[in-house]
Amino acid sequence: MKRPDSADQTITTRKYLARYWQLYLMIVLPLLYFIIFKYVPMVGNVLAFRRYRPGMGAWGTEWVGLTYFRRFFEDPAFWRAFRNTLVLSLLNLVVNFPIPIIFAILVNEVRHLAFKKVVQTVSYMPRFISTVVVIAILGELLSPSSGIVNLFRMKVLGQKAIYFMNDTTFFRLIYILVDTWQYTGWTAIIYLAAITAIPQDLYEAATIDGANKSQQILYITIPSIMPTIMVMLILNVGRLLSLGFEKVLLMYTPDNSMVSDIIDTLVYRTGLANQNYSYATAIGLFSGIIGIILVAGSNSLSKRLTGDGIY
Amino acid sequence: MRQYKTFSYRLFNLFVNLVMLTSLLLCLTPFVYMIALSLSSPKAIINNEVFLWPKGFNLESYKQIFTYPNFFHAYGNTLFYTFAGSAISLGLMVLFAYPLSKSKLRGQKTLMKLVIFSMFFTGGLIPNYLLVSSLHLVNTRWAMLLPFAINQFNLILLINFFRSIPNDLEEAAIIDGLDYFGILIRIILPLSGAALATVGLYTAVFFWNDWFNGLIYLKSSQFPVMLFLRNIVTGTSMVGDAAGSGDKTTIAISIKSAVIITSTLPIIVLYPFLQRYFVKGVMIGAVKG
Amino acid sequence: MKKTLCVTLLVFMAVALTLSSAGVQEKKSDGPIAFSLYYSDNATLPFKQDWLTVTEAQKRVNAKVEFEIIPIADYQTKVSLALNTGTNAPDVILYQSTKGENAALALNGALVPISDYEAWTPNFNARVKEFGLGDDVAGLKLKDGKRYFLPSLFDVPFYDGGLILREDLLAKYNLKAPKTFDELYNVLKVFKQNNPASYPLTILAGPRVLYRMTMPSWGISLGKNGASGTNTLSWDYANKRYFAGAISEEYKSYITFFHKLYAEGLLDPEMADPIDGDKWSQKLATGKSMATYAYYDQVGGVTATTTIPGFKLQMYPALAGPAGAHHQPKSKTGSGILFPIKTSKRADFELLVRAVDEMFFSTENAKLWCLGVEGITYTMKDGKVQFVPEILNSSEGIYKSLQVKYGCGSDVTQMVWVNSREMTKYDENYARINAEVEAIGDVIQAIPPNPKFDDRQAEQAGTLQTPLSDAFERWNSAFLTGSKDIGRDWDAYVKEMKALGIEKFTDLYNTSL
Repeated sequence: MKRPDSADQTITTRKYLARYWQLYLMIVLPLLYFIIFKYVPMVGNVLAFRRYRPGMGAWGTEWVGLTYFRRFFEDPAFWRAFRNTLVLSLLNLVVNFPIPIIFAILVNEVRHLAFKKVVQTVSYMPRFISTVVVIAILGELLSPSSGIVNLFRMKVLGQKAIYFMNDTTFFRLIYILVDTWQYTGWTAIIYLAAITAIPQDLYEAATIDGANKSQQILYITIPSIMPTIMVMLILNVGRLLSLGFEKVLLMYTPDNSMVSDIIDTLVYRTGLANQNYSYATAIGLFSGIIGIILVAGSNSLSKRLTGDGIY
Repeated sequence: MRQYKTFSYRLFNLFVNLVMLTSLLLCLTPFVYMIALSLSSPKAIINNEVFLWPKGFNLESYKQIFTYPNFFHAYGNTLFYTFAGSAISLGLMVLFAYPLSKSKLRGQKTLMKLVIFSMFFTGGLIPNYLLVSSLHLVNTRWAMLLPFAINQFNLILLINFFRSIPNDLEEAAIIDGLDYFGILIRIILPLSGAALATVGLYTAVFFWNDWFNGLIYLKSSQFPVMLFLRNIVTGTSMVGDAAGSGDKTTIAISIKSAVIITSTLPIIVLYPFLQRYFVKGVMIGAVKG
Repeated sequence: MKKTLCVTLLVFMAVALTLSSAGVQEKKSDGPIAFSLYYSDNATLPFKQDWLTVTEAQKRVNAKVEFEIIPIADYQTKVSLALNTGTNAPDVILYQSTKGENAALALNGALVPISDYEAWTPNFNARVKEFGLGDDVAGLKLKDGKRYFLPSLFDVPFYDGGLILREDLLAKYNLKAPKTFDELYNVLKVFKQNNPASYPLTILAGPRVLYRMTMPSWGISLGKNGASGTNTLSWDYANKRYFAGAISEEYKSYITFFHKLYAEGLLDPEMADPIDGDKWSQKLATGKSMATYAYYDQVGGVTATTTIPGFKLQMYPALAGPAGAHHQPKSKTGSGILFPIKTSKRADFELLVRAVDEMFFSTENAKLWCLGVEGITYTMKDGKVQFVPEILNSSEGIYKSLQVKYGCGSDVTQMVWVNSREMTKYDENYARINAEVEAIGDVIQAIPPNPKFDDRQAEQAGTLQTPLSDAFERWNSAFLTGSKDIGRDWDAYVKEMKALGIEKFTDLYNTSL
């Protein structure tokens, strides 16, 4: 038996199957699962082109063409939300994509084993505090009347209090920092697992060659986890249009709405006034198409640059 | 030369430890604060006397949570969903990820595209509900376990981890007469400790926290505990309460804190157990052995 | 004609039932009737299967109810899904009305038009007549002239929240209780002078509570919890029409007043959602604020935690503004019971409706959901309700104690609200305030009528509503905090609202009345 490689391209299908039927057998169950649970419900997307009337069937009542797409394409609020989503997402990606990688590498360098374990465990804890509570604690810290930050500004620096949570200029910064705090340790687990797989003898050889720590990190650790980094990057780019909806919703105020209104919050408010499934489906479909384009683009870019992609 | 090396090494170590200490404090303080709140008297909290140590120590908040009807029953449900869900999920994902990690396998590219495509297009709430309903899964525990048994993100992570396992091992196994099921079980899985731990953890946390599927598909006796706990924490602060009757009810912060501690502690302690899989050198041993 | 037909049918069925135990009926007529029901569960008042009210009510009407307990935050989602898909819906859904999506669901046939089965709801009809709510209930009909739920009924709406002030401080600074908003301004001013670091008037749960309780004194009701649910329209009680309240002079005068409070540091600037109830309590209990708009129920909690000697919070009747003294408008009908269409396919549908009617609306059972069982929770002495010592002396108060231990007074299950009966559960102070409010007259106005939209009109209204509401919230906040000047920027604001179609929106509502 041989593993599947280029030489197999020439052999007949029958022989091929005889050799690899077990691999295909493995696929059967999960594939069936995929078709049933992921692909069958996709039929629901017809609602983007059909009018949904509550209580009159799940698939809508009549074809309306691109009515719902036109509605949001012509809506200035949608484009503002679209822009806000992209800007916030990109900034978030630029800041919060590298941080977990750096964090994982540094955790890996901690010599004291017990301390290392404690740091790992503790750093992923913020992931478990519900967003509502995170925002409440944040509101407490940043409160213009009683928050520590403003008390410091007023009492020590003699400055005026700033109502951070209600200010256009601070919204993005706060959102991104909260994300850093919540997800750094959580995401770093993936990179830590990847680092675990690096053969130890590479480092041993490097040490013998006289490479110092930063050289080891630069020439061994990072290249070794590069495939993981690329996969994560591609997946993250694909998710540019989906942000932490609940967090934005909780941080949304009329005052910061010019920057905090994202696609999801807009759909939420539109839907709240009038349970408009068709409109929401149309926007979902639009976001999905953008996501696919982004993934395909970044994947082929990654393949060209590093030779690796997710497919 | 030697001197310089030690100095820079020490400096680097100092830097690393400082960063770790800072993040330790940043991540731990809110938890300690919430534990303190959950054990303090409402009076002390309202008067701003509690910081990192409880004041007016009492267990009332916890008592109150535990007296919610069916609390332990719901907790049991959640444990079941977490274990059963993770087991099913890991099983399916491993079966799918291993063949998909072979980029030369015919059809692999198509299947990968199928997986990725499904990350971006979902049918929406009602079609999903109708599907689960037509499979006669509504009001059964399967409704909680099956619809999200494969998470595409985790699947891709797993595929990526499997890819990084050197091919030589597999070739050696084939020469030894192992078939692909044998390779998967005897070679790949033992070598993927850290990967399986990571994906397993992510999956377990998903099932632990999932309340929405419970809400829409299950009877109240099958509800996971998160549905109730979430309601205590967010029930009054979510926007959109029509008549505003939600404004009338306030739940003490001590109870909210106790809820958070009760609902997160069990899943947080899972990680230290999994940490032993994150030890370097597993691979080396395997190759040499 | 319909009635007689129903009655005849009824008699026939009753005879048929007594004669045969088999036949169409699933259950024997003397066995308990079984049905399932959605119940909206509030975390502060967790439902218990063995609540006295719950077991007793089932016993009295010989029913076996399967309660599906759904947390309140997600109740709407669960109900919406059950009604939209029609599958797996329960027989009965509590705590619902036909506003919003439910109206479309009703018109498209997902709900039972319960007004067609009047003969089966004799107790409900009797309460409506007794309270004189004929018009109110008729107003709940949808475009097709049918009513799709059994609403809860109130004889006189309560004044359950409003202006709450530190009574001890009023005495300390020699101030009289305010009767108008100008007097309130002076009171706040004195509070501020004596406590320069404070923000005298603080806000519960974002400014929406303040707005909905104070705007009616200016003749408007706008924003997130505005009475009409439109966010930007208000109801003209004299001419019985909607008007564009958000761009009216009334609103301009209102926001000018509150901007003055804000600018002079009399109004707490911290107003972003979500504001925890805890934070609000904290500000009052520590003396950082001395006035608020909130609910009477909440006063006890704050008082219990403060360490300030002599601390006393008191609630006051609504203050007079340019349009008189008004409070948040309230309807004499509230959310109630609806039946998914599937239920009408049950062979024992009539029995079920009758059981539900009996269970929630009969005189005796209305009393049960309010007071509990005579001899267990209370006794009657000289025609007056006397609670048993255990309840009377409980630390949480009569109302709360009855709620938590017995399930009385939950707005999910209590459908009949008699003001005088409710007052027996509160202290004299509360009854006194309510009497004062009633004496002022017309303080609590009715909620404006719902327009009778079909689902196309509802969709159109929804499309107009969101951008209007967004713009209003943004400008309102800017006017309040002064980042936009009311004098200088008002015209630009009105222009924007008009461009977003506020006039078309108003017309849509007025033509559908």
